[in-house]
Amino acid sequence: MQTKIKTILAIFILFVSASSCDNYLDLRPQDGIVREDFWKTKEDIQAAVIGIYSSMLNSPPGVSDLTMSQYLFMYGELRADMIAPGGNVTEDERDIMNSNIIASNELTSWAAFYRTINYCNTVIDLAPAVKDLDPTLTQTKLNNFLSEALAIRAYLYFTLARTFRDVPLKLDATKSDADNFQIPVSTQAEVFAQVIKDLELAEQYGVEDYGDNASNRGRITTYAINAMQADVYLWTDKFQEAVNAANKVIASPRFRLIPASSNWFTTVYANGNSAESILELQYTKTNLGPFYNIFRQRPEFLAGDLVLEDVFGIDLDNPTNRDVRGERASVVPGANLIYKYIGFDFNEFKALQDADTHWFIYRFADVLLMKAEALNELEQGQEALDIIANLRLNRNALDLTAEDLSGGAKVQITDYLLDERAREFAYEGKRWFDLLRNAKRNNYARLDILLEAGISGALPEQQQSVLAKLRDPNSHYLPINTFELFTNKALVQNPFYK
Amino acid sequence: MKRILRLPSLLRLTLVFFIAIAFQNCSQEKIKEKTDETLNITEYLRANSDYSMFLEILDMTNYASFMNTYGTYTVFIPTNEAVKQYLTDVGATSLSEIPLEDLQNIARLHILDQKVTTTSFTDGKIATPSLHGQYLITGASNKNGVSSVTVNKSASIVASNIELGNGVVHIIDKVLLVANKTLAQTIAENPNLSLFTEALKATGWFDELNKPLTKDENNVSSYLSVLAQTNEVFAEAGYTTLDQLKARYSHLNNPMDKKDSLNLFISYRILPGLQYLADIAVSPALVTKAPLEVISAKLSKDTILLNDDIFNGILEKGVAIDRAVSDVTASNGVLHFVEGNFAIKKRLPAPVYFEFTDIAEFRRLTSIWRKPGAAFQDVPLSEAGIDVTWDGKTTDGASRISYNKAANGTAITNGVAGCWGADVLEIYRFRDATCQNIAFKTPVIIKGKYKVWISYRQKASKLGNVKVFFDGVELPRQINLHEGGNTDTAGTPETVLESQGYKRYAQPWSNRVNCRLVGTIDVTTTARHTLTLQSQFNAGDSAWFDLVEFRPVEMNQLYPKFQAGGSGLIYQ
Repeated sequence: MQTKIKTILAIFILFVSASSCDNYLDLRPQDGIVREDFWKTKEDIQAAVIGIYSSMLNSPPGVSDLTMSQYLFMYGELRADMIAPGGNVTEDERDIMNSNIIASNELTSWAAFYRTINYCNTVIDLAPAVKDLDPTLTQTKLNNFLSEALAIRAYLYFTLARTFRDVPLKLDATKSDADNFQIPVSTQAEVFAQVIKDLELAEQYGVEDYGDNASNRGRITTYAINAMQADVYLWTDKFQEAVNAANKVIASPRFRLIPASSNWFTTVYANGNSAESILELQYTKTNLGPFYNIFRQRPEFLAGDLVLEDVFGIDLDNPTNRDVRGERASVVPGANLIYKYIGFDFNEFKALQDADTHWFIYRFADVLLMKAEALNELEQGQEALDIIANLRLNRNALDLTAEDLSGGAKVQITDYLLDERAREFAYEGKRWFDLLRNAKRNNYARLDILLEAGISGALPEQQQSVLAKLRDPNSHYLPINTFELFTNKALVQNPFYK
Repeated sequence: MKRILRLPSLLRLTLVFFIAIAFQNCSQEKIKEKTDETLNITEYLRANSDYSMFLEILDMTNYASFMNTYGTYTVFIPTNEAVKQYLTDVGATSLSEIPLEDLQNIARLHILDQKVTTTSFTDGKIATPSLHGQYLITGASNKNGVSSVTVNKSASIVASNIELGNGVVHIIDKVLLVANKTLAQTIAENPNLSLFTEALKATGWFDELNKPLTKDENNVSSYLSVLAQTNEVFAEAGYTTLDQLKARYSHLNNPMDKKDSLNLFISYRILPGLQYLADIAVSPALVTKAPLEVISAKLSKDTILLNDDIFNGILEKGVAIDRAVSDVTASNGVLHFVEGNFAIKKRLPAPVYFEFTDIAEFRRLTSIWRKPGAAFQDVPLSEAGIDVTWDGKTTDGASRISYNKAANGTAITNGVAGCWGADVLEIYRFRDATCQNIAFKTPVIIKGKYKVWISYRQKASKLGNVKVFFDGVELPRQINLHEGGNTDTAGTPETVLESQGYKRYAQPWSNRVNCRLVGTIDVTTTARHTLTLQSQFNAGDSAWFDLVEFRPVEMNQLYPKFQAGGSGLIYQ
C-alpha cells in the first residue's frame, strides 16, 4: 500500500514538474508582439508605417513628453517675433521666448524626434525581409512603404538640423541594448546631405495617389516629398533645384489656392485636407491634438500684441475689409488668442471635444512662396513678385501691407517675402526658420533680420544682452539637453552654451 | 547536552537555524550616510586644479571654510590664467605680495549670498549685491563673432550654472575688480568731461559726488547716478566754456545757490539711487536731485530716450543715452553719457482729460477700440498691469474689466451711448475680493493745482459709493454711482451746479450720465501719477466709468464739454 502511494505521488510530481515548466517560464510578453512574430506580412508593415504617423500625433502610452506637433510649433515660433507668453506659460517656455536658453531647459529634449526616427529606421531595416515571407507583397508596395518611412525620417532630421544644427545621425534601427548609443554629432551640412539623399530615394519609391483624399493629404505622397525638397534646397542654397521641386507640385491639378470667402477658414483650417493641403498631421475627434489646451483652455502662448496691426494691417476706414488670414483666422483680437487651431469659422470657437484641427506641415502656398524665394535668389525678382501678388489677391490682403517693388530690388523682395510668409503661415511653426534661413544666407549677410526679431521679443532690461547673444551664429541653435550629454559621452555641446 | 539531544528533532532544527542566523548577522553592513554626493564650493575648487589660485585667495582670506558651509551662494570663479593676468596687471609675482585687504575685497566681490543663474541676468545689475557691497553688472558681448555673457563688462563667462551643494558657480576669464574711484574722480579724469567737471565744481555738486558711500538709518545706500554730457555735446548746443553756461543758465548769478538755474541744470542730471541702463529702461520717470523735477524715460526699439514726451498732442523729441559707453561703475554710483543737451522744461499746468478707456490694455484691442461699431471685450487680471491694475485673483473669472462701446449714432439714453466717445470702462464686479481697488496710471500731468472731475454712467440700483485716491491720498468727496445727471436746465443753472460739485459734462445732456467734483489736488511733479477708485459697496451689477478731468484751478471748469456719443470737444 505504502509503495503504491509513493509511486503515485512520484508520478504526480514528475507530471506536474515536467508539464508546467514550459508555460511558466515563457518570457514572451502577454500584451504585445515580439519582433520574431511580427514582420511576416504586408499588413504588418502597413501597421508599422501607420504607427510612425501615430507617434507624431500623440506620444505613445507610457511616455510623458510633449507631442511632436507641439515641439514643431515651439521650435518654429518661440524664438520668433509673433508670440507672447500666456497666463499658463512655463518657465522653460518663457526662457526660450526671452532668448534666455540654457542646456538644462527641458524643451531642448529631442527624445520625441529620435523615437519616431527609430520607428522609421525599424521599417527601413526590417520591411525588405518580409518580401521573402509574404508573396503578396509586391516590390512597388514595399517601396511605397519605404518611401513613407524615408521621407518622415528626412523631415525629422531636417527639423532637428534647423533647430540644433549638429545632431547625431542614426540611420539604422535600435534593436537591442547592445547597440552603440554613443554616437557623435554630424554637422548640419552632413545632415542636410543625408536628407537630400533620402528624399531623392523616397521620391523614386513614392506614391502619387493613395486613392482617397485623407490619405493623399495625411500620408507621404511624392508631392509632400517635393515640398520637403524645395525646403531643404532653400536651406542649402540650391535655388534652381528648389524651383524644380516646387514646379512638380505646382504642375499637379490636385492643388490650388482657395479664394477668400466666408467659409475659407473652415475649409482650410478647421476641416483641413483642403485643395491647399499637401501634408497634415491628421488629428481626429477620437485623437485630439494638444492645441486646444495650450491656446484656449490654459493658454501658454498668445499672439504678440501688435501682430494684428503690424503683420496683417487694419483698415481703419472699413473694419469689415480685412485680410482673410488675420483677424479670427490667426488671432482673436483683444484676447490675442491664437485662433488657427481652436476656431471653427470666422465667429465661433470649436468645442473642446471637436478640436481636431490638423497640424499643417506643408500647404500649397508654402510651395508657391518657397518658389518665389528661390526665384528671387536667382535674380528673377519679378516672377517672385507675381507669385506674391497672386497669393495676396486670393487672401484679400490689405493695400496697407502691399509693397510696390521692382523686380531688381532683391533685398526688399526678401523682406516682402518674409512679411508675406508671416501672414500666410502665422503660428504654423515656420516663422523662426524663415527668419533664420534668410538671415544666414550668404554668410549671415542679413543678420539684421534676426536682430530685429530679437528686439521685439526681448524684455527691456535684457534687450542689449539678447542682441549681443544673437550676433553669435551659434546662439541661433538650441543647446543639446544636459540629459543627452550625460547619457551620450560622444556628444559635444554647442560652444555658445558654455 | 544530553538534554538538547533529547529535544524533538523539529526543535533541534530550529535551534541550529537560529544559531546560524545569529552568526551570520554579526558582519557589519556598510551604510551610505549621505544621500547626496554633490560637492560644496570649496571642495569643488579643491577638486579642480584649474581654479587653484582662486582657492588660494579664499584660503588666505579665510573664506575657504565659509564657502564650504551650507547655504545658497553664487560664486564667480576666475580661472588661474585670470588670476595670473591680475597679478601681472598689479605688478606682483605671487598672491602673497598683495595686501590682505585687497584680497579680501576681491574675494567678497566674487561672492553673492543668493543663488543667481544666468537666466536671471539682465543688462544691468544683479539684484543681489556682492558680499563686498558693490553690485555686479551683467550683460553679453560679442567678440570676434563669439558671444558670451559678461560680468562687470570685462569678464566673460566661460562655464556657467554649475550646480553645487551649497550654490551655483560661474567660471570667468578675468578677475573682477572693486571700483575704488568715486563718481567725481571718474568724471574728472575723463578729458571729454572737462566742461561738465567745471560745471560740477562751480555748483558744488563735485564734492557731493566725491563723498564715499554711506548708509542712512533705514540702511539705504547713498548711491547716485549721473547723466554726464561730453564737451562735444555741449559744443553742439553752443557751449564751450563755463562762462557761456553761466550766461545762459545762471539767473541768480550764484551757481552755488540750489535755486540757481545752473545749479538746477546740474542737479537735474543727478539721480538718487543706483540706476543702470536696464533700470532706466524699465522706469517711466526718473526722480532727480532737482527738487520735484523728473526725467521721463522710454525705450524706443533699443534706444533709451529721455524726456521724449507727447504734450498736448505734440511730440517733443528727447535725447538718447549713449549705451556703448554708459554703465560705468564708480564706488558711489554709476555714470552714463547722454547724446544731447537737455534741460528742465518749464511748463504751465494744462488740463488733462483722461478717458478711462484710453489705457494700453484697451488700446491694443485694435480692431474694436474706438471703432464705429458696438463692441464689448473682457480684459482679465492676467492681462492687466500696464496702465491699470486691480486687486483680485488671476484665477477668478469675475475679477475682470471690459471695454464697452455703443455703436455710433445710438440714442444717448441707451446704454453707454451718452458717454464721451460712446464707450466706458466696465468693472464687472466692483467689490471686495473681485475688484475693490482699481488703480490707473494717468497721462503725464504737469505740476500745479488741479480740480478733479469724474464722470460715470449712472445705474439706479445694486451700486453705491466710490472713494477716489490720487497718489494714495484720499480726495474729500465720494461718488455715488446711483446718482444721475441733473436735467432741470431752467431751474438749476450750470454755475449753481458747479458750486455744488456737479456739472453737465457731456453734450447733448441726459440724466443717464453724471459728473462729480471729487477734490482739488496739488500735483508736485510733472509725471504720470496714480488714480485709484475704491468701491465702498458690494456691487451686484457692473460699474461704468467714462472719464476723469484734471483741470487747472484757474481754468473754466465747465467748458470745453465732451460730445456725448462722439469724440469731439465742445467749446461754449
